[in-house]
Parts: sequence; structure tokens; C-alpha cells
Amino acid sequence: MSQEAVKSEAAYLVRFSAAQRVEHFVTMVDFVGLVATGLPQKFYTTGWAQWLIGAMGGIDSVRWIHRFFGIVLIVAVLWHGAGALRAILSRKVGFTMAVNRRDFTDAVKTLRYYLGLEDHPAAFDRYDYKQKWEYWSLMIGNVIMILSGLTLMYPAVVARMGPGEIIPAAKVAHSNEGLMAFLVITIWHVFNAHLHPDVFPFDASIFTGKISRERMQHEHPLELARAEGREPGGHGHQP
Amino acid sequence: MTKRLMLALAVALLAPPALAEIPAEQDSCLGCHGSDPSMSMDLPSGEKLPLFVDQASFGKSVHGDMLRCTDCHTDKADYPHESKPFKARRDVTVAYYEQCKKCHFSNYTKTLDGVHFQLAQQGNRQAALCVDCHGSHAIGRPAEPRTRVSDTCSNCHKKVFDVYAGSVHGKAVTQGNADVPVCTDCHRAHDVADPRAGALSLRTAEICGRCHTDPKLMKRYGLSTNVVETYLADFHGMAATLQKGKKGKGDRLAAGCTDCHGVHDIQRPNDPKSSVMQANLVKTCGKCHVGATADFPKAWMSHYEPSLKKSPLVWSVQLFYYVLIPFILVSLVLQIALHLWRVVVNR
Repeated sequence: MSQEAVKSEAAYLVRFSAAQRVEHFVTMVDFVGLVATGLPQKFYTTGWAQWLIGAMGGIDSVRWIHRFFGIVLIVAVLWHGAGALRAILSRKVGFTMAVNRRDFTDAVKTLRYYLGLEDHPAAFDRYDYKQKWEYWSLMIGNVIMILSGLTLMYPAVVARMGPGEIIPAAKVAHSNEGLMAFLVITIWHVFNAHLHPDVFPFDASIFTGKISRERMQHEHPLELARAEGREPGGHGHQP
Repeated sequence: MTKRLMLALAVALLAPPALAEIPAEQDSCLGCHGSDPSMSMDLPSGEKLPLFVDQASFGKSVHGDMLRCTDCHTDKADYPHESKPFKARRDVTVAYYEQCKKCHFSNYTKTLDGVHFQLAQQGNRQAALCVDCHGSHAIGRPAEPRTRVSDTCSNCHKKVFDVYAGSVHGKAVTQGNADVPVCTDCHRAHDVADPRAGALSLRTAEICGRCHTDPKLMKRYGLSTNVVETYLADFHGMAATLQKGKKGKGDRLAAGCTDCHGVHDIQRPNDPKSSVMQANLVKTCGKCHVGATADFPKAWMSHYEPSLKKSPLVWSVQLFYYVLIPFILVSLVLQIALHLWRVVVNR
């Protein structure tokens, strides 16, 4: 192994496996597809929505495209669930997305830091509390979207199994949850993955799978210490 | 003898002012065509073409005080006029109806977009022409009285008229109610769209809405003006709005007003005959929604806004998001703002 290879190995760590990167890419494309075919239906009286629907071949084809992406989402969620289950059962990886008490103390500490009441933000493990919040919000959101979406796709079947009022309720839930997911992604995810001062203009680690050791030290010091067989330093930020 | 001549002269001098009340008198046509009610011509089809014009009824018609005979019968200015080789009475109507467009050009061009003209173009000789609806010599105002409109259409569309006459609108018309629609209010008079293509049913929200969103009119009958808005807020209204005029062959159309309420047979929703009566709803929904069962009609909130009383589940879900969405967004934006503020301070 050459000197440079050793150096670059030390400078970068593998953060996401190829499978995880593919999963993110599929989810990203699928999300854009669902939003592009879903939001114009919610705001159908506006000019931009009618233009978009026309460009996609009219409302009937838009609905078919939306259903296609919806089914892709169902498959992706099931796939992800199976992978997560395997990771939990393997014990080697564990359930790194599990929310624990530390996430709450981390959140309080970080918010206190933002307000100038602490000198350092909390030191994070593999996923910080913001990432866990976004992950669980979108996972719960996905379940709501899938269940309400299937209800709207098969209203007669659902009305045979339960009260008919479920169908308009599912429509309200699908429409609002979808809008919320869109807003959370455009505000929160775009900030954290693009506009955040540490990663600006673009955090590429979910696409390349790699993250610099420097960033690991800064953003996930506890995970880095564990990976390098060290005792993690104090509960604090390492400049 | 001279006395008689004097008398004849006196009659001749005095009579014209009395008779020449209408311009048509200035042509001498009525000399022949206005005197003998049995005047007619035999056509090769075996029909008799009546040639008598009732001067009194023409005089009372809308054209009585402005048109002369030759304004419409332009080819009959000379006497003796040659008779055209008409085979049947319908030929005469077809040959003369276009005379109307000289004055009524805008309404004539509208008919070119209508289903009657379309059928005539395809060779249907029974398709209605101007005079079939308006008459020829005894033309009156078409909507006076209002029942005259549906009576006129019923000359050809008898079956549909009978259904309409039994509907909530049709019954009111025959009782002299001027608020309810007659045929032309929905179908239009000259550019009558072909309702079979589905384009008309997609426009029902606008057509029915003209009356059913009018607060003054609906108040008289204790009806809601919210029906169109609630329809447009739901799935059917969205799909129908976007499908407007862009349907291909074999495409299924989203339900418009008439798909649920009926077309000519519309009844009050509490009438046992109404298709939107509770007891009939499963069948009505089932027209499109294959496999609809007893609880399926509740999927549609019957034009009500979600409320705690009417549909508590829908109302609760709506309230949940009305609170959650602003809360989440404000929290996220606040945290981003604090974060950036800290970054700036640290520098």
C-alpha cells in the first residue's frame, strides 16, 4: 500500500454502504416523483398545477404516475424495514436509529448552545437527534401516506372493512401529511444537507458513501472514537 | 252605376290605410296568398304545400311591423314567379331557413357549433333548423311564456320532455315558476352541445352552479349555496375540472352533478325517487364504483364541510394537521435561525 493510499484512508471513512446509498437515491427520486404528481392535485386550481398536470399528460396519467411512485415507496419501505430488522438482529450494527434519553439531553444542550448558554454543542454518536427526528418523522409519515394512499386507491374495499368516513379522513390525512413532508424536506433537509455551514454547498456523503475524518470528529465524535478503539472524549465539541 | 263606382273608389281609398298597417302589405303578395286559406300546391311527395299566409298572425309576430314578404322570399319579387322544383315540404324548409342569417348572423353562427347543425351536416334532414323551433310567419318571443321553450323542444324530444316534466324543475315550470331552468338554460339555445360526449356533464358544476350558488335564489327554497364549493374541494370536482374538454375515447369521466343527482329526472334529495336519496345511494355510487357496499356512500360527505357533528373523524384529522403543520414548521425554522445566529456570533 502506498503512502498516499494510507493517508487517504485515514482522511476518509466509509459512512454508508452501497445498499444504503442506492436506497437513498431511489427514495430521493421517488419523493420528487410523488411530490411532482401529488402537490398539483392538492393545489389543482392554480395555474402552475394545471400547467404541470397538462405537461404530464393530463390528470388521468398523473394519477397513474403517482400510483406507480406510491408502489415504489411501499417496496422501498418494506425493503428498508427488512434491512433494519436484519441490522438490529445482527447485534454487530445494532439499532443505531433508536431514540434514547441521550437524544433529549443532546437536544437541550445543543439548543442551549445556540442560545449562548453553553460553550459547546453536544457530541453525537452515529446519528444526532436532528437526524433521528427527521428519520422517524418521515418513517411515520411514510406509513401514514401508504395506508391513506391505499385507502384512496381502493375506497370500495376499505368501505367493506370499516366505516365509510375513513375515506374522506384518509384524503385529508394524505393531502396534509404530503404537504408537511414536502415542507419538512425543503426546509429542514435542504438546510442540513446543503445550506448548513459545515457542509455547504452539498453534503455528498450519502452519494459517495465517504465522510472525512475531520467531519466525523466534528459531527460524530463518539462514533469515530468507537471506530478507532478509543474512549470517547468528554461530552463536548472538539474544535 | 256611378254611385257604385264612387262607392268602390271610396272603399279603395279608405281601405288601404286600414289594411296597410304592416309593411308586408306593400308587396301585393297578400292579394293572392292572404285571401284563400285552402290555397296550396301539390308536391311530388304527395304532400300539400300550404301557400296561405294568415295576415293577422303575421302582423302580430315579431317581424310583422318591419319585414316585407320579399325580405325573406327574395326570389319571389316578380309575378308570375316560377315555382321551384321542390319534392317535399322539408325541401322548402331547408331551402329557405338560411334567409334568417341575413339579420340574425350571430345566432346563425352559433348554430354552426350546435348538435342540430352537426346532424344536418351528416345528412339528417329532421335535425332542427331555425324555423322548426321559431316558426315561420307567426314568430313570437321564444321564451314568452317560459314554458314555451320546453314545449318547443318537446315537439321532437318528447320522451325526455316527459321525464323533465316530472322532475323538481319541470314540475315547477308548469306551475309558472320562473326560477327553475328550462331546456335552454342548461343546453343553450343555438350552440346546443352534444350531451352524449360527456363534455356537458363535466360542465355541470358551472351550469348548475349558476343558480345553486346564487344566495338570493337559494334562500327562497332553503337550499345551500355551498354545494359547488364542497364538490370542487373533493376528488370528483378536482378530476372533473382537470378533465375538462380533454377526454379521449374510452376514458372514464369523474362524476359531475348530474351523474349522482340525475339529469332530466332530478328530484329533491328527500324524494324517494331521488338517486341521491339515502336508500338509493349505494346503487348510484355503484354506477362507477364497482363493489360499493352499504357504507361506501359515507365516503362522500354529502356536500357538508367536515364538522365535529357531521363527520368527527375527518374533522379531527383536519384539526390535527392544522395545528401540527404550523407547529413543526415554526420549530424547524426557529432552530435553523438560532443555529445560524450562533454561527455568526462565533465568528
